[in-house]
Amino acid sequence: MAASIRREEQGDLAILRISMPSVDAISAAAIEQACADMRPITALDFDQVNFINSAGISALLKFVVQARKSGYKLFAINVSPHHQKIFKMVEMSRFMPIVAERDLAAYREPARV
Amino acid sequence: MHRVTLSIPSDPAFERVVRASTAELGDTFGFEPDRIEDLKLAVSEAVNNAIDHGSKRQAHMPIDVSFSVNGEHLEVRVTDHGTGVDRIDWSRRVVEEDNLDAGMLRGFGMYLISALVDQYEVTSSAEGTVMTLRLLRKVA
Repeated sequence: MAASIRREEQGDLAILRISMPSVDAISAAAIEQACADMRPITALDFDQVNFINSAGISALLKFVVQARKSGYKLFAINVSPHHQKIFKMVEMSRFMPIVAERDLAAYREPARV
Repeated sequence: MHRVTLSIPSDPAFERVVRASTAELGDTFGFEPDRIEDLKLAVSEAVNNAIDHGSKRQAHMPIDVSFSVNGEHLEVRVTDHGTGVDRIDWSRRVVEEDNLDAGMLRGFGMYLISALVDQYEVTSSAEGTVMTLRLLRKVA
């Protein structure tokens, strides 16, 4: 995995914490690599991200495509108000809903016994 | 009227330089933080469009960016020296299932520009393309 994304895994949940400030044409390749680290419930953490452009949106859509192919749930967490606006403009939020990190547990499957 | 000019190679790495300059100028001009973010994104899209479609990523071809500031607006002019474009599609573009399934994951840039700035225009010829963006100073 690229060092620019830190992965945390809890069972079927993976949180991919993007640790680079720009999601753009330069960082797109590193971000796309992390698609391989998706789990049935995956959250992209944008807390450290202060800029996203259309090249970055294209990279993020690779996660959407992978989630749709795999039947995974994909969420965005810690999205700034400006990026919430941009995601709403391009209707990204239909495919990668923005949720609170504390609520991710509610989407996990109950453990089988 | 104050003017700041930059000339960068047609390499996306240098778009970040323009973006940083945009943020500083927006702040100097007194725009609110959210409008500065709008302007940064619009300028980023214009510069990347010039790099990708004007210069076709030939790094030796310069992209010229000029910022003009007066009492009424901040104008950004992005010029490439490519062979021109027939038309630019400014129409609304959103993420759609069909496009995802077809692997069509690009093409949001021009729509974002059109939605984020107050005025925009393009002139194009065989000598290149000029995209002009303006953010108006809004009186409260």
